[in-house]
Amino acid sequence: MKKIFGLMVSLLVLTAFVVTGCGTSAPTTASKDGVPADIKAIKDRGVLKIGVKVDVPKFGFKDPKTDKVEGFEIDLAKVIAKKILGDENKIDVQAVTAKTRGPLLDNGEVDLVIATFTITEERKKSYNFSDPYFTDGVALMVKKNAGITSLKDLDGKKIGVAQSATSKKALADEATKQGVKVSFLEFGTYPEIKTALDSGRIDCFSVDGAILFGYLDDSTVILADRYTPQEYGVASKKSNENLAKLVNETIADMKKSGELDKMITKWGIK
Amino acid sequence: MPFAAFKWLAVLQDWQVFAEGFLTTIALSLLGLLLAMVLGIFFGMLGTANNKTLRFINRVYVEFIQNTPLVIQIFFLYNGLPHLGVILPVFVVGVLGVGVYHGAYVAEVVRAGILSIPRGQQEAALSQGFSYWSAMRHIILPQAKRIAYPPLTNQAVSLIKNTSVLAMVAGGDLMYHADSWASNNLYYGPTYVVTGLLYLALCLPLATYARRLERKLEVSL
Repeated sequence: MKKIFGLMVSLLVLTAFVVTGCGTSAPTTASKDGVPADIKAIKDRGVLKIGVKVDVPKFGFKDPKTDKVEGFEIDLAKVIAKKILGDENKIDVQAVTAKTRGPLLDNGEVDLVIATFTITEERKKSYNFSDPYFTDGVALMVKKNAGITSLKDLDGKKIGVAQSATSKKALADEATKQGVKVSFLEFGTYPEIKTALDSGRIDCFSVDGAILFGYLDDSTVILADRYTPQEYGVASKKSNENLAKLVNETIADMKKSGELDKMITKWGIK
Repeated sequence: MPFAAFKWLAVLQDWQVFAEGFLTTIALSLLGLLLAMVLGIFFGMLGTANNKTLRFINRVYVEFIQNTPLVIQIFFLYNGLPHLGVILPVFVVGVLGVGVYHGAYVAEVVRAGILSIPRGQQEAALSQGFSYWSAMRHIILPQAKRIAYPPLTNQAVSLIKNTSVLAMVAGGDLMYHADSWASNNLYYGPTYVVTGLLYLALCLPLATYARRLERKLEVSL
């Protein structure tokens, strides 16, 4: 027993060493021609790698007929690619989920994540977030025949939410305010939550409204109420500060010129 | 920096989240193991019976369970049964899921253990007036137990690890709490290192014990 304990302790110490060792990354410095290193890396590569959702209609959705990923967030990625590389088609989109988007940024698999990523103070400690490009609210989907019309009706019921989504906290706060008691179950993907709603495991499916519309069918209904604005931002690796700055400027320009509003209207998501 | 110091501190601060999951995982493992043993010994004995039908029942159970993924079995218990009007609490889904799954493997271990005892042992017992069942109980199983023990312990180790499948259906186990916590604040680095070490703390002593049993067995054979 003593031997095992000793082995465990040494393993723990070893992991601690390994992880602190690789935890530091070189700060980005401007190279000779004045282009910051993080942006130069993208220019040298000639393509901007973007992490997007492929299961959220109108935001990032892979059309099964054409096999192409399309949506508001892909259009946004194109504008940023044009700004950096001068060609809006030089993007390489990669599917991310709520769970993989953080690690993919950290290990450099993607330069930017534009994937209905809600900005929070806690997340800002790990990644750079741009100013919000879209604001959505948390919405509730219930079965038509359940007779539920508001959050109050969900007293004592179970709500299914997605892991890595901020809807849980938003709803929990709102429920406390209204004096309603609800419990939460977290699932890894949206289809799993919908399956659980269909099988009666949960009484309500709750994520951001825009995402929820992709799962609406004949047996379900989305309630009109929206809770706690969820602000979506473009995320980048913490050390890629210049890239983050450039993205932010691009979004600010798009807001000023009205291009962002035009895009939102084009996709019909407001 | 996935492993920044403040993320480690956050894990320590919220240790209760992990403790809660850890306890659920232990409870799931114990009950699942109990069920697996009961099912395994029962079906393992069926597998060595002279009766063809009994052997067939053993084959159906073992082959069906061993050749479908645990994930599908759990998913069926969780989301399939409710459509048939049976809603089991998720903890029961977990115990049933891993218990039935590993029961099939235990059945094979038990069957192999019984078959490894020379046939003469049983014939001798029967000739001395033992019934089939009392021969099993007093002569065969005690000897088979020694052979089956090390692989059984390995089954216990896999069972503990496989309880993590419950995370998929919001099972409240260690993996679920780790996923939930890490995906909320994205401090995934330290989270999964700590979670892995917790599973290691459960499994490593068992695996070491199994190895020691194996060595002892070699000596006694």
